[in-house]
Amino acid sequence: MIFEILAVGLIVSAILALFLDEVVYSVAALAGTFLFTALIYYLNGAIYAAIFQFVVGIGTIAVLFLSGEMLGEKTQKKASPAKTGGLIGAGILLSLPAFFISVSDQATTGPDIPIGEALWNLRGIDVLVQALVILTIALGIGIVLYERRKK
Amino acid sequence: MDFTILSIIMLAIGIYGLLTNRQLLKVFISIELIAIAGTLNFVMLAYPNGLSEALLILAFSADTAVSAVILALLVIVSKRYGTGDLSKIISKQESEETEVEAQ
Repeated sequence: MIFEILAVGLIVSAILALFLDEVVYSVAALAGTFLFTALIYYLNGAIYAAIFQFVVGIGTIAVLFLSGEMLGEKTQKKASPAKTGGLIGAGILLSLPAFFISVSDQATTGPDIPIGEALWNLRGIDVLVQALVILTIALGIGIVLYERRKK
Repeated sequence: MDFTILSIIMLAIGIYGLLTNRQLLKVFISIELIAIAGTLNFVMLAYPNGLSEALLILAFSADTAVSAVILALLVIVSKRYGTGDLSKIISKQESEETEVEAQ
């Protein structure tokens, strides 16, 4: 039952994020989408995925709140309760197929490999390359800021 | 409860938003929804295989990099044209081009 509630919350918050007029409310709804996704991962036992989703979500929401005020145009019209209710209803209706239709076959997944083993034995090289890329970006930002301060 | 169907619904909502919204921030939100749909399908289909979570880190890195580039482009475009509305940006761009051609 909890997964059904989370699925409905996920779809409803996604629809509200797209179709609400006020940018700040849209970003708040997007935060809800990230939160529901992280909760679905966590309750299914994918704890690392939940943590990563949560952290990436917080970063995106923080940047969007800052840029939303800067880029978003002020709308005079306020969202009517009827429109919001309609969006929520549409979200509930759209999430119904996920309860009644099934297409995935869980038996096709491969052997269970622990995440630590998968991370280091199978993906060691690209984890190191990613770390190198992130380090390069951080150094680049530092150099740009230093040059700007010198000017 | 089928998470593949759920992620297909999320993908459909994201693509619909991408095609119909004229505000740049809403376009960005649509791209985020598409990324959530991809990762949701990826994790829930392959779980409990740890490889899915390990590969998810790569997906999140790519998603974050894409988000950063899109946000940077949004800021540049909205500073250049003074608006975040795609239709206004296109009309301003066209009027600038006609001015250049007239000169």
